[in-house]
Amino acid sequence: MSDSEPGPTAGLRRVRSTTRSTALVKRARGPWRVVVSETSMTPTIQPDDWLLIDPTVARWPRRGTIVVFREPAADRLAIKRVAAGPGDRVELDEGHLILGPDEAWLLSDASDAVLLAAGTGQPVDSRRYGPVPVDALIGRAWFRYGPLGRIGRLETVRRERPLGP
Amino acid sequence: MFRFRTFFAPSTTVHAHCDLPCGVYDPEQARIEAESVYKIIEKMGANSDPTFTARAIGIKEERAELAKHHLDVLWHDYFKPEHLAIVPNLHELFWNATKQVSKVKASIDLADAKKLLDMIDEIDAAWKATGGDTKTRVQRATA
Repeated sequence: MSDSEPGPTAGLRRVRSTTRSTALVKRARGPWRVVVSETSMTPTIQPDDWLLIDPTVARWPRRGTIVVFREPAADRLAIKRVAAGPGDRVELDEGHLILGPDEAWLLSDASDAVLLAAGTGQPVDSRRYGPVPVDALIGRAWFRYGPLGRIGRLETVRRERPLGP
Repeated sequence: MFRFRTFFAPSTTVHAHCDLPCGVYDPEQARIEAESVYKIIEKMGANSDPTFTARAIGIKEERAELAKHHLDVLWHDYFKPEHLAIVPNLHELFWNATKQVSKVKASIDLADAKKLLDMIDEIDAAWKATGGDTKTRVQRATA
């Protein structure tokens, strides 16, 4: 085979490259800014916080980061923290779960005490709907630009162990 | 300033949502499921048919899981930190009861099921002590 001839995987590379660039263009439409409603990410994020989103991420960002995603079986955007990423082990009440190569386990930040104080029920997260596929990912929340008194970068917080139900 | 806010305000809302409690709570829900478990174990003792036993075990575990669910809802959604002043051992009551449900799921001992009923009765007393029976239930029409 001469240098000018395409290699056996050249077509595959082109397909992958096209798919990635198409997905990137789609993601670049945003949203780049979101406002948060409800309390399950308290105290890290509070209702009416304004956040900047990085929608260019194509894979689940690392554990401990906060992501915006399309909630499974619901037509709405949700925000949670990545508690476990692809291939991680999630401990459940009775057994455990190994996440697939494109799945993440997304949990809320609010503790039981915070939820009790807020008068809300249990947070709706992966403990309710299970692992979330990467196709549902919208972007990574990285900065709070409002309200003025709470402006700042959203910290990555890694749990020692991914929590199950 | 108004223009600044309008220009930079996000147009997309993301939800950090939780369950929306309906506000109706009663330990009776958990008790009825626990009574089912008790009765099923009782029936299992009187019937040695393997098919019946297999079905009964499945139903027992399902009912026990429902009892646990109702206890969890009561614990997380009804009880508030201020109730600890009235029932200081509140968390212990729920902790023990939900552990007992797990034990009952794996047990065919009637005494285990009876112990769970007694624990739920203690929770019922706590619920009444905090005014649950008057605050959370829709009152029936008087005859």
